[in-house]
Amino acid sequence: MLAEAVTALRSRWSCVDWSIERDSICASISPDDLRAITKYLISQEWRLGTIVATETHGQLELRYCLYATRHPGWVQLVIAPDRMERAVPSLTPVTIAADWFEREIEDLFSVSFAQHPRLGDFVLHDSQWAENAGLMRPGVHTSGDLSEQQREWRPKRVLEEEGAFVMPIGPIFSGDAESALFLLETVGEDVVRAVPRLFYKYRAIEKIAEGRTAADVLLLAERCAGTSAIGNGLAYCRAVERASGVEPPARAHVVRGFVAELERLRHHMTSVREICASTSLTVAASQALWLEEQLLRISGETCGHRYLFGVLAIGGLQHDVDDGALRACVAGAAALSPKIDQLRTALENSSSFLDRIERVGVVGREAARTFELVGPFARAAGVAADMRVIQPYDPYPCVHFDVPTESEGDGYARLRVLFAEMRASLGIMSELCAELAPGATRAPAAIRAGSALGWSEAPRGASVQWVELDDEGVVRRYRLTPPSFRNWHGFHVATEGFAFQDFPIVLATLDLSVAENDR
Amino acid sequence: MSWFIRGLRAGVLTENLPEGQNLPASLTPGLPRRTDFATEQEALEITSLCPTGALRAEERAVHVTSERCVECMRCKPEQDWRRDADWARFADGGPLEGAFTRSIHVRIVDAGDCGSCLSELAQLNGPSYNLHRFGIFITPTPRQADVLLVVGPVTRQMLDPLKLAYEAMPAPKRVLAVGACAASGGVFGPSVMCAAGAADAVPVDLVLPGCPPPPLAIVHALRALCGQERPA
Amino acid sequence: MSQWPLLLTGIAIGVALVGALGGVVSERRAAVVLTTAGCLAAALAFIAGVGMIFGAGSGDRFLWSFPVFGSIAIGTTPLGGIFACISALVYVPTSLYSLRYLERYRPEYSARAFACWYCVLLAAIIALFVCRDVISFFVIWEIVAIASAALVAYEWRRERNVRAAFIMLAMSEAGTIAAVVAMLLARAGSGSLHFGAPAAAISQAAAWAIFILSFFGFGVKAGLLPVNSWLPRAHPVAPGNVSALLSGVILNLGVYGIVLVNSELVPVRYAGEGVVVLVIGAASALIGILYATIEDDLKTMLAYSSVENLGIAVTALGVAFVFTAEHQTLFAALGFAAAVYHVLNHSAYKALLFLGAATLDAKLGGRSMNRLGGLIRVLPVTAALFFVGVLGIAAIPPLNGFVSEWLTFQALLRAVELSPLGLRVVFALCGATLALTAALAVTCFVKAFGMTFLGRPRTPLPAVDEAARAMKFGMALLALECILLGVLPTYVLPAISHGAADLLGPDTITAALVPPFFKPTAAPNPLPSDFVATFHALGAQIGRGAPGRGWVVMLRGGSANPVVFAMSTTYLLFIIALLLAIAYAVVRLASRTRRTSRSPAWSGGLSPVLPEMTYTATGFSNPVRVIFDAVFNPTEVENERDTIYQHFRSAIRRKREDVFWSDRILSVPIERATLRMAALLARMHHGRLPAYVGYALGTLLLVLAIVTFA
Repeated sequence: MLAEAVTALRSRWSCVDWSIERDSICASISPDDLRAITKYLISQEWRLGTIVATETHGQLELRYCLYATRHPGWVQLVIAPDRMERAVPSLTPVTIAADWFEREIEDLFSVSFAQHPRLGDFVLHDSQWAENAGLMRPGVHTSGDLSEQQREWRPKRVLEEEGAFVMPIGPIFSGDAESALFLLETVGEDVVRAVPRLFYKYRAIEKIAEGRTAADVLLLAERCAGTSAIGNGLAYCRAVERASGVEPPARAHVVRGFVAELERLRHHMTSVREICASTSLTVAASQALWLEEQLLRISGETCGHRYLFGVLAIGGLQHDVDDGALRACVAGAAALSPKIDQLRTALENSSSFLDRIERVGVVGREAARTFELVGPFARAAGVAADMRVIQPYDPYPCVHFDVPTESEGDGYARLRVLFAEMRASLGIMSELCAELAPGATRAPAAIRAGSALGWSEAPRGASVQWVELDDEGVVRRYRLTPPSFRNWHGFHVATEGFAFQDFPIVLATLDLSVAENDR
Repeated sequence: MSWFIRGLRAGVLTENLPEGQNLPASLTPGLPRRTDFATEQEALEITSLCPTGALRAEERAVHVTSERCVECMRCKPEQDWRRDADWARFADGGPLEGAFTRSIHVRIVDAGDCGSCLSELAQLNGPSYNLHRFGIFITPTPRQADVLLVVGPVTRQMLDPLKLAYEAMPAPKRVLAVGACAASGGVFGPSVMCAAGAADAVPVDLVLPGCPPPPLAIVHALRALCGQERPA
Repeated sequence: MSQWPLLLTGIAIGVALVGALGGVVSERRAAVVLTTAGCLAAALAFIAGVGMIFGAGSGDRFLWSFPVFGSIAIGTTPLGGIFACISALVYVPTSLYSLRYLERYRPEYSARAFACWYCVLLAAIIALFVCRDVISFFVIWEIVAIASAALVAYEWRRERNVRAAFIMLAMSEAGTIAAVVAMLLARAGSGSLHFGAPAAAISQAAAWAIFILSFFGFGVKAGLLPVNSWLPRAHPVAPGNVSALLSGVILNLGVYGIVLVNSELVPVRYAGEGVVVLVIGAASALIGILYATIEDDLKTMLAYSSVENLGIAVTALGVAFVFTAEHQTLFAALGFAAAVYHVLNHSAYKALLFLGAATLDAKLGGRSMNRLGGLIRVLPVTAALFFVGVLGIAAIPPLNGFVSEWLTFQALLRAVELSPLGLRVVFALCGATLALTAALAVTCFVKAFGMTFLGRPRTPLPAVDEAARAMKFGMALLALECILLGVLPTYVLPAISHGAADLLGPDTITAALVPPFFKPTAAPNPLPSDFVATFHALGAQIGRGAPGRGWVVMLRGGSANPVVFAMSTTYLLFIIALLLAIAYAVVRLASRTRRTSRSPAWSGGLSPVLPEMTYTATGFSNPVRVIFDAVFNPTEVENERDTIYQHFRSAIRRKREDVFWSDRILSVPIERATLRMAALLARMHHGRLPAYVGYALGTLLLVLAIVTFA
C-alpha cells in the first residue's frame, strides 16, 4: 500500500527524492511544493498528524507528518525554510486542520506563516508576551521579568451587531473547572459564538523535556494529562522505542493494551459523570461518580496507582503486573458492568435529560472531517477515526473489537459513543486477559540516537508524538500532539448559536481537557 | 422510575474515613518514607533512581522530601512506603480558628494542574467521601472562600489570576497547596513557564504532597486546616 | 368676576412676543433674551393660571366680529388654568437650561432663530388656553404646530431632522383638519362658534362622529396609537430643550383638546366613547413602553416612553368618561384627577429626563446607551438629578409618578362599581395591561439609568466636566417639582379639583380624595367622628399646624368597606427618611470595630476587564425583545457569516430592524398605497404625444357628456 502511494507521489513530483523508512514515506521538499503535495495527500484521505518544528544552529526545519486512513503508513514532509528570506507558506488555506499548529509554531518559534488568517495570542498570551518571544528557540530562556509586563490585549470579535458584547467566563470559574477563558459573543439571551482562550496552563513540557533523559521525559508525558496518562505515555514510549529500535516483549504489549483500556473505561466514566453533572442530574452524577471511584480503586488495586502513573517504562513495563491482579481487575470491572448499563438505560429513558443534550453542540460529519477531529468527538459525528484501527499497533491487531460511531454529532451521540466504547474496552480487557502468557515485561533499555514518531489512541483520541534522541538517551526535541489540541480546535464549530444556560452542557459533552491541550 | 427513587434505592454509599497505617492501594498509593539500608552504596543506588530528588541519602539511611515525590514508583519495592493518607504538613501559620472550624468554603484554583488532582477533588463531593458532612464546601467565588486550594505548579500565565483570587478573599484566609506540583513544582517546575509551586505566588499555609494525593488525604488536609483534626 | 388672570395672560403673551422680537436682534444676546423672556412670561402665565384655577372664571369677552366666522372670544377657564400652569412649570426650567445649552449649536446654527421660535411658541401656548372659540383656537393651534415644527427642524442641515419636522407637521395638519371638522360639527346646530354657546341637540351618529374625529385628531398631538408615527421621529432629533417642551408641553395640548371637546362642547354621553379612550390609552401605554424598553438611544427611548405616559393619562381619562356616562361623578372625578395628575407629573419628569439626556448628548456627543456607562463618576450632579426623574417615571414612591399611577389603578379598580359586565371586563383587561406596562417601565428605566450612569464605560469616553450651572439649575428645578408633586398630593389634588369645577362640580375631587383630618369639623364633607378618631389614632393628625386639609389621600366607601383605599406619600417620606437614618446609624454602630477592606470586583481572574466585556443596553433588554417578538415583528436586514478559506470564521454580521407598530399599522400601508397609485398614474405618462392627445380628447368628451346630461 505504501509502495503504491510512493509510486503515485513519484509520478507527480518526480524531482523530489521520495524514500520509504520503515512505515513512513519521507521526503525533503521545497517550501513551494508543500501546498500542492499536501493538497494531493488530503484528497487521498491522508490526515495531518502533527507538525514538528525544530531549530538547530539557526536552521529551521518543519516536519509535516500525515497518516493514511485507508492503510497503515505515514508521510513525513520536511521543509527547511530560511526564515530570514521570507514567510513560510501556510497550510491553512489547504486544510483548516493546520490552523492551530501554525499558530502554535508562530508563537513558539517566531515563524511567520504567509496567508494565515489569524496569528498571535495563542500559546503565549499577548497580554504578557511580545510577539517575537520565540520561547522554543534554542538559547531562549526566559526569566521572571516577563510576567511583569502588561501589554495591550483585546479579544478578536467576530460578531458585528448593534449591542453585541463579549461575555468572559474564566480563567477561574465554576467549582472545580480547569482554567481557561471562554469568550462568549452575544447580544443577550443567546450566545452567537463562543471561542476559548487557552494555554493559561501552558507548562512548556516540550521545552522542559529538552535535555532530560528519555526515562524522565516519560514522567512529563504521563502528567501532560493525568486523566490519560497511559494514552499519552504509551505514544511517547512507542516513539522512543521506535527511535532506538527497542522492541518490548509480548507480555508487555498485552499488559499495556490492558491498562490502556482500563484507563479508557475510567476516563469515559468521568466524561459521563461530567455530562450528568452539567445537566444538574445530581443522582445520576453521584452514581457515575461512585462508579468512577470504583474504577479508580480497581486501577489502584491492579497497578498500585489510581491514575496508572508509573506503569509504563521505555521498553515495556516498570513493574510486572501479575496475572491474578489482572484477572481480579477484569472481574471487578465486569461486576460494575451491569451498573453501568443500568445508568445508561436510565439516562436514555430520562426525557428531561435527553432534551438538554440532544441537538446541543452539534458538529457534523463534514466539520469533523475538515477540522480533523479525533476520538469519541469525531466518532459521534460519523468519522471512525481510531488509531487502533487505521494505524494499528500491538496488541490491537490480534484483538477483536468494534469502533462505535454515531451520525448526529450532538451531545447525545457523544454520550452513546462513550457508553459503547466502555463496553468495547471491557471486552478488550477480558480478551487480553485470556491471552496472557508468562514472560519478560521489559526489554533491556538500549537507547540510541535517532528520531521517530509514536502514536496511540488515547481516551480522547489520537495522540501523536515525535521524539529526537541523542547518543546518551537524552531528548533533543520532544513534540507532543495530544488529542485535546485537535478537538479544542473544533470547539467553536460546536458553539455557534446556543442558549446561554447550555454552555456547561456543551462544554461537558465535548469532553475536552485543558491540561492535555495546554501541555 | 424517577431519579429520586433511584437515588433512595442506592442507599447510603458514604464510607467512614478509614483509619490506620495500612490502607489498601485502591485508596492510596502511599508515599516513600525514611528507610535504612544495609550499605551506603545501596542507599545511593536507590537515591539515583529518583527523578525528582525526593530521596536523599545520609549514610545508610534514605530520607524523603515528600513534597518532591511524584509517585513514579521507581524506588519500589526497595524503599519503604507508608500506606496511610495523613500527609499534610503546616508550612506556615496554623489552622483556622474560632467560628471557622465548623464550616468553611474552599475555592479551588487550577494553576496548571494535569487533571488528576482535580479529578480527585471532584471525588470529594461524591458519595464515597462526601466532604459536606464535615461542613466543608466548594464555592465558585473567592469572595466567600476561607481556603484557597491551589493545584498545579503555577504556570506563568496563571500567576496573575491566582494572585487576584487570593487578593479577592476576605480575611481570615488560608492557602492549601495540593499535590506535588503545588507543593514543589513537581515534574514541571521550577522551569521556563512554571514556578516551584504555589508558595512562589501566594503564602502557603498547609502543604499536601502526593501525585495526586488521594481524596482521603485531601479530606485530612482540609480538616486539619479548619482545626477539626491535627495533622499526623 | 375678576379680570386679572386674563390681563396677566395678556401681559405674559406680550412679554413672550417681545422676547421673540428681542431674540432676533442680537445673535450674542439671543440666549439671554430667550431665558429672561421665557422665564418671565412663563412665571406670569403660571400666576395667571393659578388665578384661573381658583378664580371663578371671567366670563368670555368678545373681541372682534367677522362676517362668516362670528366673534373672536377670549376668556379664562379653570381647565385652561391647569394646563397653563403645567406648561409654565416646564417652560421656566427649560428656559433657564437653554441659557447655556444653545452654545453647543454655535456657530453652525443661529441662536436668533431659535430664540424667536421658542418665544413665539411660548406666546402661542399661553394664548391657546384663553381661546374660547373655534376660529381663534385653531389659528393659535396652527401657530403652535408651525413653531414646534420649526424648532424640531432647528438643525436644518441634517436631513433627518427636516424630514421628522415635515412628518410631524403633516400628521399634525391631518389631525387638525379632523379636529376642526369635529368642532364645526359640534357647533353646527348652535349657530355660533363660541365654545360657551348653548349646545344644540346632537344625534347619536353625529355625537360619535364628533367624538372619533376629535379624539384621533387631538390624539395625533397627544401621541396616541395609531396616529403617533411622528413622535418617535421628532423627539430624538429635536434639540434637547425642545424635546423637553415637546414631551412636557405640546403632548399635553392634545389631552387638553380631548378634554375640551368631551366636557364642554359635547359632554360624554355613551360609555362606548369612554371604552375607546380606555383601550387606545392602554394600548398606547403598552406599545409605547415595549418599544422604549428595547430602544438603545436615550432620547428615542424617552420619546417612546412619552407614548406610554400619555397612554396612561388617557386611560385614566377613559375611566373618567365611562363613569361620567354611567353618571358616577365620584369615580369620574377620581379618573379625571388621575389623568390630569399624570399629565402634570409626566411633564415634570420627562422634561427633566430629556434635559438630562441633552446634557449627555452635549457633553459626550452621543446618546446610544451601548456606548455610555459609568457616567456617575464624571457627571455626579446630572446623574443624581436624572435619578430623581427615573424614580419618578418608574413610579417609585414617594416620587410623583407613583401618586398618579396609583390613582389610575385605583380608578380602574373601581370597575366593581359598574353594572355592565362588558365594561368590567374591559376595565380588568386594561388594568392588567397597565400593570404589565408599569413593570416594563421599571425594567426600562433601570436599564436607562444603569447602562448610562453605572458600571464602566462601554467605549472610551472623552474627559468631560459637569454641566453648566444654569443647566444644572434648570434640571434641579424640575427635580424639585418631581419631589414636591410626589410628597404633596393633598395640595395638588385640591388645585386639580378647582380646575375641574366646571366639569365635575365644585370641590368634588377634594371632597372625595382628601379627607380633612387636620380640621375634621370643617365643611364640606364632615367625617364621622369615630372614623376620624380611628385615623387620628394612626397619626393622621400629625402636621396639623400645616395648611391644607390633611396629608392622606383616601377614598371612603360605604359602611361595609369604610376605606376603599388610602395612602400618604407625605408620611411615607418621613418614614423613609427615618428608616434610612436608623439604618445608617445601625451600620455605623455595628461597623465601629470592623475594618472595611476594598478590592476590585472579582472577574474570574481576568484582568483587566475590557469595556467590550460589559453588558450592553441591547443585551439587558434582549429578553423583552425575545418574549414580545410578535409585537416587534422585526425584519432581518442582514445575517451573513463570512469565512476565510471556507472554514475560518471571520465575521458574523447580523442586523434586525424594528418598525414602530404605528408605522406598520398606518403609515406604511398608506405610503405603499400612495406609491402604488402614483405608479398607476405614472403608467399614463409614457411620453408619447398621441396618448396625451387622446387624454385631452377623452377629457373633453367627458366634460361635454357631463354638461349635456347634467
